[in-house]
Amino acid sequence: MFAISSLFQPQLALHIPDGFLSLPVILVTWILAIALIGISLQRVQATYQERAVPLMGVCAAFIFAAQMINFPIPGGTSGHLLGGTLAGALLGPWAGSLVMAVVFVVQTLLFQDGGLTVLGANIVNMGLIGTFGGYYLYKVIRSVLGQDSLRGVLVGAAIAAWMSVFVSAIVCAIQLAISGTVPLAVAISAMAFWHFMIGIGEAIITVAALSYIWRTRPDMFHRPPRHAIADKSRSYSAR
Amino acid sequence: MLLHLGAAHLATERQTNTVWARLTARSRLLCVLLLVFAIALTPNGRWWTWATYGGAIALLILVSRVPCLPLLKRVAVELIFVGVVLIGTLFRQGGDVLFHWGWIQITTEGVTVLGSVTLKAFLSLLTVNILILTTPITALLHALAELKTPPLLVAIFSSMYRYIYVLIDEFNSMQRAARSRNLMSDPRRQRTVIGNMIGSLFIRTYERGDRVHQAMLARGYSGLPPLADLTKSSSLDVAALTFTAVILLIGQAIYL
Repeated sequence: MFAISSLFQPQLALHIPDGFLSLPVILVTWILAIALIGISLQRVQATYQERAVPLMGVCAAFIFAAQMINFPIPGGTSGHLLGGTLAGALLGPWAGSLVMAVVFVVQTLLFQDGGLTVLGANIVNMGLIGTFGGYYLYKVIRSVLGQDSLRGVLVGAAIAAWMSVFVSAIVCAIQLAISGTVPLAVAISAMAFWHFMIGIGEAIITVAALSYIWRTRPDMFHRPPRHAIADKSRSYSAR
Repeated sequence: MLLHLGAAHLATERQTNTVWARLTARSRLLCVLLLVFAIALTPNGRWWTWATYGGAIALLILVSRVPCLPLLKRVAVELIFVGVVLIGTLFRQGGDVLFHWGWIQITTEGVTVLGSVTLKAFLSLLTVNILILTTPITALLHALAELKTPPLLVAIFSSMYRYIYVLIDEFNSMQRAARSRNLMSDPRRQRTVIGNMIGSLFIRTYERGDRVHQAMLARGYSGLPPLADLTKSSSLDVAALTFTAVILLIGQAIYL
């Protein structure tokens, strides 16, 4: 199976194109995705009120831009950030998954990254599992290791980022197998092999970005540490 | 990915005097959605259905006078991404064995699945790209709002679309700054630098969001941006939608 799995390029594997999933899988994932978007829209509107549009808009553009940067992954290839856990840690689970869902819709509709019919599946894999799951794993680890310590944040983010990529890949492989497109063994081995490495890259970049924000603007975290709430008014850039 | 970005501006040089361009963006979006869902949801192996839909798409290309070279270029780039995933579909069990070498075997079922999935992906890409190359993004977002997408969501889409290029430019200039200071030489440091860049860009982005919000308030913003009036659909739109629906039904009826 290694010969086949090495044919899969890392960048493209998580955005499923049109025609790869069967009707039942498409239906279930669309229902889940629409529910996720609906609830998170309500929560975001309640939290941010009329700040919602500009703030969610620029944050989605930020994730989109961050996903375009390639960086070397340990092991020789290069990959890019998915950003689910990063969005969750900074914006919280609801705003984070809304931002991720918006990114996938715009990527599909305007840039044809991933298919229209499988948009629901892509949102579920990377928005629901990647961001929502990633955020809660990060939250549990952070509260165990210390809510106000950098160590808790970084260990939590590293594990959550790796898990979010790996689990999304496995779920994606299972969806492909249920649809009868790729045999389960091939799908899982190829996806697991690549996303093991991509997850490491994701974890490294997430940790680096979060520790930078912790050093300069700790109040920007969702649930900021106690010491950051005291001096909130520092501005990093006047632009 | 970067190749996609350049093509997004192409809709500006669209043809305006064709039948396709005279349809409202809403009916164009609906036709394309119907067609893509029908193509993608047809079970594997129904070649004649896809031949029918392929004919409809060819007609659409003729009618819309979409520039062929950009269309083919975009589809080719996207199909290469798809192609690598497709190879995995070839090696599956079931049907007669056509080719056998070691533990690798290619069966009729594998070939059927590979052919069907490739064709589905190709036709869907073609259809969506025709829409994107002939319809401006703003009209498309407006059409989404008309089709009962939550207005808040559409407002977020359009605000995101406005800032994508701004943030990509900002990222590029940060990357250029890092490179000109020789920070991108070894992979280990490169990862740290990119992580810092992403962190720094998030802070700037969040503050930009606040500034944009202040600017919007200063211009009288109160919750949701005002929507333009609904576009009126003519008999042409009804005809186009009916035609699409008939084609879809004919395609499905072949295998009944």
